[in-house]
Amino acid sequence: MPLWLREHHWHQTPTAVFLSLPLRGARATPANIFCSERYLKVSIPPFLFEAILYAPIDDTNSTAKIGNGNIFFTLYKKEPAMWDSLTLENADKEKLQYLRENAVLKAQQKAKEETEAKKATKEEHKKYALEATMKLEEAERKRIEDLKEKERQKVTEELELWKNQQKDADKYKSVQKEGELHQEIGQLKERKNEKMTKTRIPNEGTSKSRPKPTKGHASCSIFSPNVKEEQLPAPRSAATIKVNFTPRVFPTALRESRVAEEEEWLHKQAEARRTVSADLSELEDLKEEEKNPDWLKDKGNKMFAMGNYLAAVNAYNLAVRLNNKLPLLYLNRAACHLKLRNLHKAIEDSSKALELLTPPVPDNEGARVKAYVRRGTAFCQLELYTEGLQDYEAALKIDPKNKNIEKDAEKIRHLIQGTMQGS
Amino acid sequence: MSAAPALERPQVVSHAQQALSYTVFDCKWVPRSARLLCLGSAARGTGLVQLYELRGARLELLREIEKPKPIKCGTFGATSLQQRYLATGDFDGNLNIWNLEAPEIPVYSVKGHKEIINSIDGVGGLGIGEGAPEIVTGSRDGTVKVWDPRQKDTPVANMEPVQGESKRDCWTVAFGNAYNQEERVVCAGYDNGDIKLFDLKSMSLRWETNIKNGVCSVEFDRKDINMNKLVATSLEGKFHVFDMRTQHPTKGFASVSEKAQKSTIWQVRHLPQNRDIFMTSGGSGSLHLWKYEYPAQRSKKDSEGAEMGVAGSVSLLQNVTLSTQPISSLDWSPDKKGLCVCGAFDQTVRVLIVTKLNKI
Repeated sequence: MPLWLREHHWHQTPTAVFLSLPLRGARATPANIFCSERYLKVSIPPFLFEAILYAPIDDTNSTAKIGNGNIFFTLYKKEPAMWDSLTLENADKEKLQYLRENAVLKAQQKAKEETEAKKATKEEHKKYALEATMKLEEAERKRIEDLKEKERQKVTEELELWKNQQKDADKYKSVQKEGELHQEIGQLKERKNEKMTKTRIPNEGTSKSRPKPTKGHASCSIFSPNVKEEQLPAPRSAATIKVNFTPRVFPTALRESRVAEEEEWLHKQAEARRTVSADLSELEDLKEEEKNPDWLKDKGNKMFAMGNYLAAVNAYNLAVRLNNKLPLLYLNRAACHLKLRNLHKAIEDSSKALELLTPPVPDNEGARVKAYVRRGTAFCQLELYTEGLQDYEAALKIDPKNKNIEKDAEKIRHLIQGTMQGS
Repeated sequence: MSAAPALERPQVVSHAQQALSYTVFDCKWVPRSARLLCLGSAARGTGLVQLYELRGARLELLREIEKPKPIKCGTFGATSLQQRYLATGDFDGNLNIWNLEAPEIPVYSVKGHKEIINSIDGVGGLGIGEGAPEIVTGSRDGTVKVWDPRQKDTPVANMEPVQGESKRDCWTVAFGNAYNQEERVVCAGYDNGDIKLFDLKSMSLRWETNIKNGVCSVEFDRKDINMNKLVATSLEGKFHVFDMRTQHPTKGFASVSEKAQKSTIWQVRHLPQNRDIFMTSGGSGSLHLWKYEYPAQRSKKDSEGAEMGVAGSVSLLQNVTLSTQPISSLDWSPDKKGLCVCGAFDQTVRVLIVTKLNKI
């Protein structure tokens, strides 16, 4: 239950009502005050003050001052009149309720309207700002364009001027040539008259092909190339220069960004080439370590692990040549042969391994299991299932706990039964 | 790039452009005129030479010449100013010199190479430099051959791979060091990144290096002076500027390199009026204008007392993207400073003007 604050004081003028509400130690903030046209509420939990006003007030202009443990309201009346009392005294509950709700609704509406109004103004401002910036940018652009245009025009004029100069120069040149022609014709005529030769000199022809210009001409130096021709050296004596290029494997042009890729490719090619010839070269030069069968066995194992079965086989071969008593060599070589599908060789090697693995002791259990399994696999791949099954069962005998072997053995049994039933 | 300081820099202004109906491989200004040539390959597999004149803001077609084989490259470098004969290399390995007034029969013709001639350069003509006019061609068959138009059928110099050596494509050639009648040097760039400098006076290999990327274009800053700088551009957006004044016995020439963009730099061309400014054109359709700055001292002594060159630095003056396709050819006009033409693989040839070059 809220605590009602009833110790309020008020006085009025024809246009305003002044209400003072002491807060019993509670702190008030603007959020605690709710005011609408006819309803005033101050709610500071647990305190509550509520007043349904006698007449409507102008709640937008009314103020509330919080301070000194007191809230001081200045409410401006909508209609200037003297109120009988602050609140509506004999209002019934319903009316009160109705007024309260109304007040709340009205307040909400007002709030909404205010926010919308604010939004609208904000948008307008934004628009205005945008337009202003656009105008500025336009102006700037135009200015630059104008400057550029001016440049262009200036330059075009200069070009025209220059062109006309060229034309004039050309004209001058042709006029000059004609002048030359006339002069030469004149001179020739004189000479003709003097010497009274019979042959008619075709004037136009000679003036063009004449090697030396006649004296007394004031022609620009660039228009008489004839003088220069005489001073040209003879053509060079032919020679060849041999050229070496920076080597490049690819026929395409060299690009820095592609160099890495190209290197990689070349590397791969080189690798491929090297592995093919590896087998032969190993036999040629044996290094110290290569004479050690164990080292060779390790090498073989590594090759097998890498998937390079041929190389592994070679390693084992070499090891066997050095020491043919090591069962593991044969065992491993059998595995390689299996992978290479040299099934007969696999069987041979497994058998040899098994031979060497006698006497059967717990020590060589692992090896023997492997040997049996490998031989068994080889038999099965040759479709000699009975033999294969025998080997698998032998393996199982040594290691009954191995699930894989059991499974495979089962499979083989089924296969045998299947074929037997069939045939 | 903020507006105000940017406009102090040279601007590349697009003046005129022309859509073509064929692939243009090379474009060249006709010396002493406002005319330019476009060389290329038509869709039907024939070669085309078109002569345009710059009129106002347009290019007007004056002549069109069709040849049986597509044309890859051309130069005016070895011809006199009167004759202005065009030397071209085509896809079949033929070197031809044409008189554009009478283009039916070439003035000089030789089947110089077994495969396409990728690049051609000429020296000794146009009133530039001294000595015999010569043309050098570099081809996919790995050889670089120097021709004299006065000598038929055989080259005057042949740089070919050693017997049994597998050949590399020669992508670019350039003449240099032609400051008197005897001296001449040919620089060749190959697709495996080799750059080789051949001395024609002593008929020997003077220097070689490898820049780790196929070499698309080499050019000396001037053909007719004691060799000063060499720019070599390559795949992967890199170019190197070599200082050619000081050759170290083992280290060769000093260089500075710059990576301008991610795509191939197809061409480099030095401004004829200022040898420290050059433009590179790229596979992304962009043009970059560079300026080379010399170091305080161009050479210094190394630990053994041998002279060693010091490379300077390169700064980017401007760049512009004109097309989405590579700009494969570029030529500055020798007569008007800043006027240049470029041809791109989007079948367009553009005439550009670079402004404010005087203020650099």
